Amino acid sequence: MKKEFTPRITSFLCKWCSYTGADLAGTARLQYPTSIIPIQVMCSSRVDPVFLIKAFLNGSDGVLIGGCHPGDCHYETGNYHARRRFAIVKSVFDSLGLESKRLKLSWISASEGPKFARVANEYTEEIMKLGENPTRKSIFL
Amino acid sequence: MKLPMKDNKKNSVLVLGAGIAGIQASLDLAEMGVEVHLVEETPTIGGRMPQLDKTFPTNDCSMCILAPKMSECVRHPLITLHIMSGLKNISGTPGNFICSVIERAKYVDPVKCVACGLCEEKCPVKIEDEFDVGLRKTKAISRYFLQSIPSEYTINKNHCLYLTKGVCKLCEKVCPTGAINYDDQDKEIELNVGAVILATGIDPFDPIGFGQFGYHRYSNVVTSLEFERMLSASGPFGGHVEKASDGKPPKRLAFIQCVGSRDEGINRNYCSSACCMFAIKQSIIAKEHSKELEATIFYMDIRAFGKDFDKYYDKAENQYGVQFKRSKISEIKELSDGSLDLKYTYENGDIQHETFDMVILSIGLQPRLGSRELSKNLDIRLNRFGFCRTDTFHPLKTTREGVFVCGAMNSPKDIPESVISASGAVANAVKYLELERYDPSTGSEEIKEKDVTGERPRVGVFVCHCGINIAGVVDVKNVAEFAKGLENVEHSEDVMYACSTDCLETIKQRIEEHDLNRVVVAACTPRTHEPLFRDTISEAGLNPYLFEMANIRDQCSWAHMNEPEMATEKSKDLVEMGVGKARGLVPLARLPIDIDPEALVIGGGLSGMTAALAIADAGHDVYLIEREDVLGGNMRDIFFNFNDSDPQEFLAETIEKVENHDRIRVLMNSIIEEIAGFVGNFRTVLKNSAGEREELTHGAVIVATGGNEHETAEYLYGESSRIVTQKEFERMLHEGKFPPGKLKEVVMVQCVGSREEGRMYCSRICCSKAVKNALELRKRKARVNIYFAYRDVRTYGFAEEYYSELRDRGALFFRYTLENKPLVSKIRPDDPDSRIRVTVFDPVLEKDVVIDADLLVLATAIDAPEENLKLAKMLKVPLNSDGLFLEAHVKLRPVDFATDGIFVCGLAHGPKDMSESLAQAKAAGSRALTFLKKKSILAEGTIAEVRTDRCTGCGYCEEVCAYTAIEVDPEEGVAVVNDALCKGCGACVASCRCGALDLRGFTNGQLFSVFDSLELEASEGI
Amino acid sequence: MSSIIIDTSASRKVRELLRFLLESGKIDAAVTMRKIPEDSSYDLALITDASNLDEAVPIVPVMTVNAGQVLSSISTSGKKIAVVLKPCELRAFVELVKREQGSFENLLTISHTCGGVFPLDLVAAGKIEELLPKYEKIISKGEVPANTRDTCRACEHFIPMNADITVAVAGDCESGKGCVMYLNTDKAEEYAEGFSGERGELKFDPSALKKMLDARLLEKEKLFASITEDGPGLDRLLDTFGKCIGCHGCNSVCPICYCLLCDFESANFDYNLPYFEEHLSRRAALRLPPDTIFFHLGRLTHMSFSCVGCGMCSDVCPVGIPVAAVFRKTGEKTAALFDYVPGRDVEESIPVMVYKEEEFSDIG
Repeated sequence: MKKEFTPRITSFLCKWCSYTGADLAGTARLQYPTSIIPIQVMCSSRVDPVFLIKAFLNGSDGVLIGGCHPGDCHYETGNYHARRRFAIVKSVFDSLGLESKRLKLSWISASEGPKFARVANEYTEEIMKLGENPTRKSIFL
Repeated sequence: MKLPMKDNKKNSVLVLGAGIAGIQASLDLAEMGVEVHLVEETPTIGGRMPQLDKTFPTNDCSMCILAPKMSECVRHPLITLHIMSGLKNISGTPGNFICSVIERAKYVDPVKCVACGLCEEKCPVKIEDEFDVGLRKTKAISRYFLQSIPSEYTINKNHCLYLTKGVCKLCEKVCPTGAINYDDQDKEIELNVGAVILATGIDPFDPIGFGQFGYHRYSNVVTSLEFERMLSASGPFGGHVEKASDGKPPKRLAFIQCVGSRDEGINRNYCSSACCMFAIKQSIIAKEHSKELEATIFYMDIRAFGKDFDKYYDKAENQYGVQFKRSKISEIKELSDGSLDLKYTYENGDIQHETFDMVILSIGLQPRLGSRELSKNLDIRLNRFGFCRTDTFHPLKTTREGVFVCGAMNSPKDIPESVISASGAVANAVKYLELERYDPSTGSEEIKEKDVTGERPRVGVFVCHCGINIAGVVDVKNVAEFAKGLENVEHSEDVMYACSTDCLETIKQRIEEHDLNRVVVAACTPRTHEPLFRDTISEAGLNPYLFEMANIRDQCSWAHMNEPEMATEKSKDLVEMGVGKARGLVPLARLPIDIDPEALVIGGGLSGMTAALAIADAGHDVYLIEREDVLGGNMRDIFFNFNDSDPQEFLAETIEKVENHDRIRVLMNSIIEEIAGFVGNFRTVLKNSAGEREELTHGAVIVATGGNEHETAEYLYGESSRIVTQKEFERMLHEGKFPPGKLKEVVMVQCVGSREEGRMYCSRICCSKAVKNALELRKRKARVNIYFAYRDVRTYGFAEEYYSELRDRGALFFRYTLENKPLVSKIRPDDPDSRIRVTVFDPVLEKDVVIDADLLVLATAIDAPEENLKLAKMLKVPLNSDGLFLEAHVKLRPVDFATDGIFVCGLAHGPKDMSESLAQAKAAGSRALTFLKKKSILAEGTIAEVRTDRCTGCGYCEEVCAYTAIEVDPEEGVAVVNDALCKGCGACVASCRCGALDLRGFTNGQLFSVFDSLELEASEGI
Repeated sequence: MSSIIIDTSASRKVRELLRFLLESGKIDAAVTMRKIPEDSSYDLALITDASNLDEAVPIVPVMTVNAGQVLSSISTSGKKIAVVLKPCELRAFVELVKREQGSFENLLTISHTCGGVFPLDLVAAGKIEELLPKYEKIISKGEVPANTRDTCRACEHFIPMNADITVAVAGDCESGKGCVMYLNTDKAEEYAEGFSGERGELKFDPSALKKMLDARLLEKEKLFASITEDGPGLDRLLDTFGKCIGCHGCNSVCPICYCLLCDFESANFDYNLPYFEEHLSRRAALRLPPDTIFFHLGRLTHMSFSCVGCGMCSDVCPVGIPVAAVFRKTGEKTAALFDYVPGRDVEESIPVMVYKEEEFSDIG
C-alpha cells in the first residue's frame, strides 16, 4: 500500500516568540502546510537534545526548534544555550552521516507571523526533497 | 481565596457601563480588594468590542482577546454584576455615595435559565437584532449575542406578545427549567459606595438623513459597523460579505471617511480618532477575504497617529494595494444594477467619477443616546459636543467630586486608550477608599480539590467549533469522534464555543458525570484561553494543571484553510498529542510569593510624578528616581494649552505635591546600576552623582523614562537663528523673544523626522502642538502670516476644533509628500540671522510657492531615549523596533509588561500628549497597586524541580540559569530550586545530563509522550 | 622546577616515591596499579600502608578501570593522596572536576608519557608479562606498539597535561640518558623534597616524541576513517550499533558518565504497554529491548565532547561495537566547534554550560 508522502515536522516552539508567531501566522490567515506539528515549550532551551533524537528516531521527517531571536529571549539567555545544544546534535548527526538537514533551528519572533509561515513552507519543501525519514521504516530503532 | 471585608462603602465602587473600559476598571479594583458593582444597561458585558471582528494594528480577533477578560470579570468573587440596569442618581458625599440603581425586569430567572435556547426557537416574534445592527433578526426572548456573558436569556418587554398583548406564553411552555417569570418587576436598589466610575461609552454616528451618501436609500451603502458585522465570522453572514442588492460578493469597495466627524455643520467639529484605522483595518481584512477585491479609501487626512499605526497604513497601501484618495465626495448615485457611482473632487479641483459595488461609510463616534439625561441625573457636566466634560490636567475627573470617567465617554478613543483611562480612573477612585493590604493565599479554598493521585487517567476531550473559525475548515465532529478511541479518553464531544459560559458549565458537568481527572480542549491558542479553562476545571474540583489545550484554530484551521482534510488529520494529531500529554499530567501547587509594598518609579517627568502620586496616595511608599537635578521632564518646555489653563502652574503644583508627600522619596541625580528580583521582590542599586550607591527593595517598577526631541539635521536646522523646533518656538512665544526684525512670515514644517525611513511612526502630538503654537502666535501678533506644510493634519479628538480655527484665521496649508519635501535655503548663506527661503509645492494650485520666511518652525519627531535599551535589558522587558518599550498586549494590556510587576507609562511607551500621559501614568500606578495591595501572590506551578536522589551536584543547571533560581547546595551537594525566582523556562532541565531535573507541567515524560503520540507511519508497509 | 634522573626502571622509581611519601607521612594513601599476588593479572589499588606497595607497578600498560572515574569518589575525602594516572585518566579526572565530581586539592598527580594500554582480554588471558619487554622497547624508541587498544594507538594526547609529576618513559629514554621524572608544580617540589635521586634542571621536550605523535595521528586518521560518514547514515548507524544488546557496560565504565543513574536506564525511558502498542501499530515490529540506538545517540550528545578516548567502553563491549572510536571521532568534531579539548585545563568551561553571543551565525 502506497500513500502520498505527508511530511511530519515535529516543531518545538517557544511560548513567547515562535509559538506566538505561529499564532500570528494563523491570525493573519497565512497559509502553510499541515506538516508543521507544533509543541509548545516555555523556551527553546527547554528542548533537550535527546528530544531531537527521539523525534528523529520516531520517524519525524523534520524536527524544528523555534526560538526568540538571539538577544530577545524571554528568559534572557535560553536561546543561546539552545543554539549550542543544537550545534552539538547537528555535529553528532554529521559525524555519523545522519541527515542533519532533518533538524532545524529558526529564530521567529512573536511578531513574525509571516516568517513563521515562510519557514514552515520552505522547510517543508526541503523535507519533501529529502523524502520520508527512513527511520519510519526501520524496525530496529 | 480570602477576601477583604465586604459591604463597606469605604471599600466599594460602582462602575457604570461594562464595555472594555468598565470591565478593566472593575478588574483592577477587584484585584486591589475593592468590592465592585458593575452596572450595565444591556443584558451582557463586553460593550462594543464583541461587535468588532478584528482590532488594528495587529488584526487580533476582538472577541478572542476580550473573552478571557469577560470571563474573568464575571467570575471574580468581588465583582457583582447588575445587568439590564441603570444608575438613577447619586446622593451623599464623595467617599460615601448612595447610588440608586434600577434593575430592569428580565422576565427570565437567571438562576434557573440554562441558556438552552428552546425559548428563542419557539418565540414567534422576530425583531431586529441590536447586536448585529439590524442585519439579522432575533426574537423577543433571546440571548444578546452568542458569546454574551452572562449567558442567560432575557425577554424584550416591548415586543413580547404576552407582555404587550397578553397572549402567547410559548416560551414558558417550552422552558425545561421553568425559568420564565412574566411577573418580574423592575427593582430599585441602593448601593453605598465610596466612588463612582462612569464608562458608558459612545454610540456610532447615525447617517440616516445624511442625504448625500444615500444611506438607507441605496441598499449597498452601509456603515462601517454594519460592514464589521459582515466581515465577522460570527456575524450574520458568517464572514462572507455580500451585497444587499443581489447577494453577490462585492468586487469594489469604497470607504468614505469622516462621516459624522470633522463636520461643524452638524456640531461634530471633532475627529473621532479611530475611524481612519478602522477603515484601513476593514480594507485589509476584506482583501484577505478575497484577493480580487479592490478597496479605495476616500479621505481628508489619514490619522494613523497611534503606536505602530503608520506601519499598518503603509502595509495596507503597499502590501495589500488599498487605494487612498484624498478627495471630497460630492455625490453618490445608485445605478440600475445596484452599484454606486461616486463623484469626487481632488484637492486640485479635478472632478472624477468611479463606480463601486459597495460603499462603506466610516461613521464617527458620538456621545451615547441619553447621556444628557444621565448627566442631569448624576449632576455632571458635558462639553459642547455632549461628551462628559473633563480638563487637560484632570482627564478622568468629571465635574462632580468622587465621580470619574473613563473610556470614550469623555472623548472618542480606541481600545487601548479606553483601557488606559479605565485603569487611570481606578487610581482616582481609590483615593476615596480605605484599602487594607490583603493576602489572597490564606484562608479556606471554597472548592475542595479532588485527589486524583494514583487514579487511572480519565481524559475528557472537548473539540471547539469556534463558530466557523474551526468548523469551517476542520471536521470537528470527526475529530471529537476520533478522540473517543484514544487510550484513556473517557469522554469526547464537540462544542460550539468552548469558551462560552454555558460550555464552561458543560465541561464542569462532564467532569462530574464521567469522573474525569484530565481535560483536553481542542480550540484556539493556550496563550489566551488556557487560564480560563484551568479556572473552569478547578471550579469543578480538579487541579488546574490537569488541563491541556490542542491549538486547532490559530495553528491549524486558520493556517490550512484550503486543505480541510489535511487540517482535520492534523487536528487529530494535535488532539492525540494533547491527550498524550494530559495522560501524564499531575496536580501542581502554586506557592505564595510575598509582595513588598513599595514601588520604584523611574523618571521624574510628568508621567513618573503622576504614577508616584497615584501609588503614594493609596498608602504605599514610592521611590522616584530622576537622572537629572530637576523634576518635570519634557513638561518644563510646555507653556500653553488649548484652553487657557497653565501647564507650568500645574507642573509646579505637581512637583510640590511630590516633594512634600510623606510617602514619596525623590532621588535626584540618580541612575540605576542594577535591578534584580521579581514581582514583589525587586532590589535596585542606585548610584548618585557623588558616586554613592544605595540599595532599594520594592514590589513593583514603573518605567516612565520619557522621550527626547529628535535632533534633526534637515531643513538647515542649526544654521540659522531663524530655524527653530516647535519646542524652541514655544519657549520663544512664552518669553516673547523672537528673532530680530519684523516677524511677518512664519513657516511651519511638520513631520520632521517622523513617518519616514528610520522613524516609521507618527509622533502624534506635533500637529496639535503646531496648531496650538500657531494660534498662540496669532494671539500675540495678529498680522503674521502662517504657512503650514504638512503630510496629514493629525489633530485628532477635540484638537480638530483648533485646527479649524487656525484655518479660519487664514493660515495657509500646503500638503507635501515624502518625494516632494519643502526646500529650504538661506537668503544670505553666510548670515546666521538670514531669512529663510522655503519652497513648497502647492497641490491645490499645482505649482511651487516660494515664501521668504522670518521664522521656520520644525515639528521634530519624538525619539525613544537610547538608554531605554540598557534599562530594558536590566528589567528583561522588550523594546519595539522604534526603541519604545513594548507593552504586554497593544490592545488590552497597554501599561503592563509581560513580566509581572513592571509597568510603563508616558513617552517611554510612545508619543502622547499631557492628558494621555497623565491618564497612562495613573493607569500604571493603578496596575502596580493590583499587586502592591496584596501581601502575597501565588507563583506559577510550572517551575523546575530536583530529584535529589539522582542529582550529582555537577552544576550545569546553576551555570545555565539566567535567574540564579537554581544552585547547588554546598552542604548537600545537590541542586536546589528557588521557587519564587524560577521562571519555568526549562533551560536547566535540558542541561541536566542525569535526568535529575524536570519542569513541572512540561516534564520530559510528558513531552516524550506528546511526540510519541504523533502518527508516523511509513508510507510503504514494512 | 626540577627534574630527577631515574636510575632504575621508571615503575620502580615511582613506587619508591610512593613509599617515600607514605612513610614520610606526606600522603595518607596512594593509588596505583598493582600486580595481583599469585595471579598474572592487575588491578588498581588504594594503598595506605607502605608495606602493601611491594606489588605496586605504577607504570604498566593496563587499565582495568579509568582511574579518573575512581578518583571522583575518593579525592574529596580530605585525605592526602598520591595517584599515578595515565594521561587520559588525568584528563578524565579534569573533566570530572569541572563537573564538581572531584577535587585536586589534596591530590598529588603523577602521570607519564603513555604508550597505550593492552585490551582487557589480553590482561585476562595472562599475556601481559609476556608482552611487556617488547612493548617497553617499542615505546622507548618512540614507536607505537601494535596490540594496544585501537584508541590508544590513535591517541595524540599521550603526554600528560597538568600532572604534578610527569615521568617520561616513552621516546626520550632512547637518547641514553635514562628516564626522567619532571616535577612540574610547587606541590610536586614540596612533596618530593627529601626523596632520593639526582636532581637536575631538565625541561620536558615534547619534540622528542614527534615520531610517536606522527605515527599516532596516522593511526587516528585510519581509525576515524573506519567510522565512515559516507553512504546512507542510518544504515551505517545500524551496522555500527545494531549489535548492541543494551547492557550499558560502555557507560558504566565511562569516566565521563558520572550520573548516579543513567537517565537512559531510568524510569523516564521505561516503556509501558501503550508505548509498545503505539509503536507496533506503526512499525509492526519492535526491537527489544527498545532504544538501543537512541541510547548511543543520546550519550553522544551528552558527553562525547568530553571523551578522552581511554577506550574502556570498547574494551568492555561484549559484542565488539567500536564505541570508543565512534565517541572519539564524534567528540573531537563536536569539541572542535567550541575549540575545546577535554581535560586540557580545569578552568576551561564545558561547552554546554556557556555560550557566546556571536557564534553559529549559520544556525537560526
